[in-house]
Amino acid sequence: MRRYNPFYFVLESLKGLKRNGVMTFASVAVLLSCLVVMGGFALMVYNINFNLEKLDALNEIVVFTEYDASIEEIDELAGQIAALDNVESTSTKYKEQILADLKEENPDLYGDVTDEENPLSASITITYKSNEGVPELDFQLRQLSGVRKIRNDLNVATTIGNLKSGIMLVFIWFLVILFVVSIFIIINTIKLSVFSRRNEIGIMRYIGATGWFITLPFIFEGIIIGTVAALGGYFLIRGAYSYVIAKVVSSIQILSFIPMADLSGLLLLAFFGIGIATGVVGSSISLGKYLKK
Amino acid sequence: MRMLHSLRSFERRICRLSEFLAVTSGARRLRFRTGYTFLSEKGCAPQIPIFMIEFRNVKKSYPTGTVALKGVNLHIDDGEFVFIVGQSGAGKTTLMKLLLCEEKATSGTIIVGDTNVTRITNRKIPYYRRKLGVVFQDFRLLPNKTVYENVAFAMQVVGTPNKMIRRRVPAILNTVNLADKHNSFPNEISGGEQQRVALARALANNPSVIIADEPTGNIDPQMSLEIMNLLVKINKLGKTVIVVTHEQSLVDYYKQRVIMIGDGVVAEDHVGGMFE
Ligand SMILES: Nc1ncnc2c1ncn2[C@@H]1O[C@H](COP(=O)(O)OP(=O)(O)O)[C@@H](O)[C@H]1O
Ligand SMILES: [Mg+2]
Repeated sequence: MRRYNPFYFVLESLKGLKRNGVMTFASVAVLLSCLVVMGGFALMVYNINFNLEKLDALNEIVVFTEYDASIEEIDELAGQIAALDNVESTSTKYKEQILADLKEENPDLYGDVTDEENPLSASITITYKSNEGVPELDFQLRQLSGVRKIRNDLNVATTIGNLKSGIMLVFIWFLVILFVVSIFIIINTIKLSVFSRRNEIGIMRYIGATGWFITLPFIFEGIIIGTVAALGGYFLIRGAYSYVIAKVVSSIQILSFIPMADLSGLLLLAFFGIGIATGVVGSSISLGKYLKK
Repeated sequence: MRMLHSLRSFERRICRLSEFLAVTSGARRLRFRTGYTFLSEKGCAPQIPIFMIEFRNVKKSYPTGTVALKGVNLHIDDGEFVFIVGQSGAGKTTLMKLLLCEEKATSGTIIVGDTNVTRITNRKIPYYRRKLGVVFQDFRLLPNKTVYENVAFAMQVVGTPNKMIRRRVPAILNTVNLADKHNSFPNEISGGEQQRVALARALANNPSVIIADEPTGNIDPQMSLEIMNLLVKINKLGKTVIVVTHEQSLVDYYKQRVIMIGDGVVAEDHVGGMFE
């Protein structure tokens, strides 16, 4: 049984990469930049989403009762609200509890306020089923007796939702364009490599080398370019991310960041996946005709 | 001599017929047990295919419109030595390209051994080519590899184990009288020597046929003789040798079968040199 030496392919591809040093460098640089931009963008979107999720309090309607409503009246109102179509659930907070929470949060300001002086009213927080039904729900709530005020942040919520999908769309287009650019560059690098070895390839074909034997070193070249770009890109992003966190976290406290440790596995996997896939696709495209014979 | 040729080929046809019958009747095992035992003395060992080369009404026109071959009929037997001659542009190289499957025939049939070359699938071409060793006018050695590496490369390419390569390459270089040039690079040796390296490379995978397209075209006459002597020697070792040349003095000197291609067909086919 004949066996091929796997080192042969790796060695040949390294030789090829060295021979076209400039193009190899260009390929790695472009793919690396693509990965860094992709990765940076992904991290940004990821963190924006992460921060927006904390604002999910926006996806609710809060109903405030009359100041002097009794507990029975409040419970009855809550029951009526819960029976409405678009209501998923309700949670009631009596004014005593709200005051207690405030006292705990801010003892300086509310410490002295007694239950008798309580200036607050009870609140019923509603989580609803669909955004579309909110205007109708709002109308229905206004019809109920005992409702003093309704806080409805639907506009903010939809704006943020639109923003999210807008960012995603831009991100996806960015990805597609960068991916195409990377593939194009790699195709040219491998083509150049094939060109500088055309004599050798011609001889190999006369001798009876199979298509895959001829093409494997070039596929490996693509894989090596992808791997190096992935590793380089990963460490670059990692450094940049921790730098940005250190700078931003200290200045803007309301923003919080996902720690790098939670992301590095995913990032590395994605980079290797995209890098190697780009390398393989790029070299396969430039080798199409050699793979046939 | 011609009669001997046809007699031999007739014998082989019978061989192939019996093989064919055995296969079609489903008696595969029987074929190996009995089919060959009584025929093997005539050269029909089961593992060694009979390397007849046959061209039947082969035509070739290039996409440019040039009609290079207009219906070639040819039969070359296993173990023959054949010169192919003809004017420049007669279609000799085209003939070799068809044989090597580098170009596809426009019509007609080419049979080499057990392969129908005109019907071969792309996937099988590399394996078919391993049965043919090729030598070109311009040597086509790899300039960045030594003599030894150039020959070893041919064996690596087809997946020969390193141990076998180390054993076989020196033996082949010996055969072509290059034992002392292992570590030279192609640009450090003469044209004749380079062509001998090419010949060694062609022999590396133990092909059944050696095809040489104007092997002496780029080297001086004295060296040419040495190359030709080597080709004759290789032929004596049992390989079919096909040499394309337009050097009449060589053809006359060796007195072998000469096929002359003219105007895209076989113009003459006889044994013993051009002017006899
Ligand atoms: N690749 C090609 N494309 C078009 N025409 C070709 C090609 N190769 C050869 N020819 C033409 O076919 C004819 C035969 O050429 P060739 O087989 O090279 O002749 P020879 O080897 O006998 O000199 C010539 O007229 C030549 O111009
Ligand atoms: Mg020619």
